[in-house]
Amino acid sequence: MEQLTSSLAPPRTSTKQTAYGTSQDVAGSVTKRLSSELMTLMMSSSPGISAFPKSDANLFEWAGTIEGASATIYAGLRFKISISFPPNYPYAAPTIKFDTPCYHPNVDLTGGAICLDILQDKWSAVYSVQTILLSLQSLLGEPNNASPLNPDAARIWDKPEEFKTQLMRFYRPINEDGSL
Amino acid sequence: MISESGRNQILAKWQESFTRLNGNQPGIAGLMNFAKAWKFAREYLYPIDINDPSPKVYAAQEIRAAFEVLGNARRLAAIFETFLEDMRTQQHLITRDVNHHMSRYEETSDPRAVADLVFRLIQWHTAWAPGQEFGHQVLSAFNHTFQTHTFSVLPSSFSSGFKSLIEMTLEPYLDTEESRSRGKEHPADLRLWAGFECLGMLERYESLISSVCYEAIEKHVWDKCAKSWVEPELANLREWMTDCIVPWMLLPYARGARNSEEAKVMLQGVGARFDFHMCKTLCDLRIGEIFDIIIDYPDSKGALQDLKECLQRVDQRSQLVLALRKANTRRLLHPGADTKDILAQYVSIMRCLRFVDPPGVLLHKVADPIRKYLRGRPDTIRCIVANLVGDKESGDSLADVDEPVQPLSQVQMEDYSDPNWEPEPVDAGPDFRTNKPSDTISTLVSIYDSKDLFIKELQVLLAQRLLAVQDGNFDSERKNIEILKVRFGEAPLQVCEVMLKDMTDSKRIDQHIQAQDECVLHSTIISRHFWPPLQGNKLVMPAQFQEVQDRYANGFTEFKPDKKLHWLPQLGTITLELELQDRSIEVEVTPLEAAVIGHFEEKEEWTTDALISSVGGAVEKSMMTKALSKWANLGVIKEKEGGEFVLLEVQEEGGASLLTASRQAVVEETPSVITVEQQQAGQMKVYWRFIEGMLTNLGSLPLDRIQTMLRIAPGYDKTVEQLATFMEAARREGLVTVQGGLWKLNR
Repeated sequence: MEQLTSSLAPPRTSTKQTAYGTSQDVAGSVTKRLSSELMTLMMSSSPGISAFPKSDANLFEWAGTIEGASATIYAGLRFKISISFPPNYPYAAPTIKFDTPCYHPNVDLTGGAICLDILQDKWSAVYSVQTILLSLQSLLGEPNNASPLNPDAARIWDKPEEFKTQLMRFYRPINEDGSL
Repeated sequence: MISESGRNQILAKWQESFTRLNGNQPGIAGLMNFAKAWKFAREYLYPIDINDPSPKVYAAQEIRAAFEVLGNARRLAAIFETFLEDMRTQQHLITRDVNHHMSRYEETSDPRAVADLVFRLIQWHTAWAPGQEFGHQVLSAFNHTFQTHTFSVLPSSFSSGFKSLIEMTLEPYLDTEESRSRGKEHPADLRLWAGFECLGMLERYESLISSVCYEAIEKHVWDKCAKSWVEPELANLREWMTDCIVPWMLLPYARGARNSEEAKVMLQGVGARFDFHMCKTLCDLRIGEIFDIIIDYPDSKGALQDLKECLQRVDQRSQLVLALRKANTRRLLHPGADTKDILAQYVSIMRCLRFVDPPGVLLHKVADPIRKYLRGRPDTIRCIVANLVGDKESGDSLADVDEPVQPLSQVQMEDYSDPNWEPEPVDAGPDFRTNKPSDTISTLVSIYDSKDLFIKELQVLLAQRLLAVQDGNFDSERKNIEILKVRFGEAPLQVCEVMLKDMTDSKRIDQHIQAQDECVLHSTIISRHFWPPLQGNKLVMPAQFQEVQDRYANGFTEFKPDKKLHWLPQLGTITLELELQDRSIEVEVTPLEAAVIGHFEEKEEWTTDALISSVGGAVEKSMMTKALSKWANLGVIKEKEGGEFVLLEVQEEGGASLLTASRQAVVEETPSVITVEQQQAGQMKVYWRFIEGMLTNLGSLPLDRIQTMLRIAPGYDKTVEQLATFMEAARREGLVTVQGGLWKLNR
């Protein structure tokens, strides 16, 4: 029998903490939230997505890896991303960008910026690193061509062969040692 | 040629000497007189051979006259010079006697030969000594010359002979009874000791004499005190010293004393030396025995009392620490010793050393290696915890029965404003803390840095015990928890509280459900969050059991609509009544065994593998074999030659006898709660996920970086060495590769 449900949703009390707690409390609760998200992510086995803090001293900067889902044009390609959490996370979305150049209608090829609604106005505190990574993974296969960051890519999205050529022109595989 | 003035000088000298010798006599009459007196005096003083049968007798008047003449001429010094010279020429006489007696001693090893020699030497001494009237200086010069010669001719065997002679004089005193009845010393001894003094042997052989006494003391201490630990012996030994050694000591050390007061003063110094030696001997003896003394505690309190007193007198503390540490390493801290025994001995050591040295400096020094060793043992915590809850099987408890249950004391900071503050003892080590926890359990718990480990282990133990309770009586567990609450505080034991509450709640809930819909099933409902993980090899029960389970679960959901039962079907017991063609058997079995026999209802023949898959496929083969053999032992099924089991509807011959023979074998082991070790292995799997995560995202990393990064993982407490071992194991499994100290995932 389960008397307690371990909840992934942010604790209801934390709103209060933001309002009344000291800044240290807030940093503490964000760290706590981030480590619990890390734990969840580590223990879940979602193929093709992964992320980890860049150093043990700072839980606000993570590195992630996304693998293109099979049966999409990105299948077999691995992209490195970096995730940067704001101090008021999860009340504001983390900043995410691609480190590996990604030829995609919603991704800025040079800067790596991503145009994804849940990372901007549709952000909600119930999202987590895992949901973001899963959304990104699906975004690769299903771009939103209505608001492209990369109009060229959006234009040729319907011509897979041409797209693939462009994609592979810019793609650089992740090195053995993890660097770009 | 001599000059004029030189000649005059010589002449003056001559004149002066002549006048001195001749006096005022006319011519050389004075000179003649002097010559006569000189000759007489020399003859009188001449060292005679005492073997000479008829010594010459001199008239006192004549002697006095002769020495007067010599005195007047101021030639007394010269005559004594001559006397000493004569002594040297006569020394061969003594040498002869010494050789004679010593060769007798060397042949027989009889100390009496040495005694004879001493007496003989005294004879020589008396015969040769110039009379008292010549003054102190002359006598001491004589003594000196005599002794120098004597000692120079004594062979090397003399010292051993002398020693055995002393031993001989001491011997009668050592027999307590005799010395009491005999009263005062032997006259022969008195003479002997006077002779020793006269010959200067007391000073020369002082160390020999005291060594005889030391040896006697050592022997006595060993004889009386070795292995006798019940009573303190020190007082008895002191009494023995007073009765036996002191009367003897009067001879060599206090012969001149006129009354007991004087004797006491004279014996003070040497007596203190002997007492010290006795304490040291006893101390050495006890230090040698310390390990066994501790084993025998509390029957060895007497020995500890001795040790305590001796240590105050003799500074042997560091020896004690060394000896005990050595004994511990040799006899205690090795794989052959049971953790329980090590703990018991540690507790005894604690008590003993606290008794000997209340501030605990000795204990601190001795305990360190033991604590380190215990920390390395996997089952230490379990042993301590089992003891905390007073495991009845373990017999005597580590904690004192009369030791009041008290909260675990914490190491406190020193309070310098305390007016009764005392500095730490001088020989305390750097980590020593005066106000360390002093009760046994606190000390044991402090082997580990945190109490959490204990709480976890406690949970596991409690879970085992609660699940093992059959009659629904949890009073003893409740009592244990209450005691532990006093020790550890309320908060850490909240989990245990919940566990206990679960047990009583389940009883209540069960009653309620039974009242609604009577059911053969009685459940124990536990809150998963508060219980240690239970071994969960999934067991699929046969349909009839499943039905009962479902009905019960429905009853529960009606009672508590927001909750759902999650079954642990592998735990518990089932009372079955089997109705076979010719007999019926009532038996209490485990769920697995029940499931197995349930399947035989459908089909009479089963193979082991088929049974395993029919109960869900998660059961280990050994478990299944055990379940099958239980039924086989009960004579319900039988193994056929092909490895198939067949149901025996009709009992076979000999089946009943088997049944009685194997009854003992079917004892169900303790409920399968996952132990802390297994939990740790599980934890390592969690950490592997973290390692995998970091290697995926951060590329290849050196070991120490992995170690620091793992601190992010909750509860990570492994050392770098443990991590290295783990990574090495992962490498062998082909999960990672290492190159130049950098680990990376193998893709």
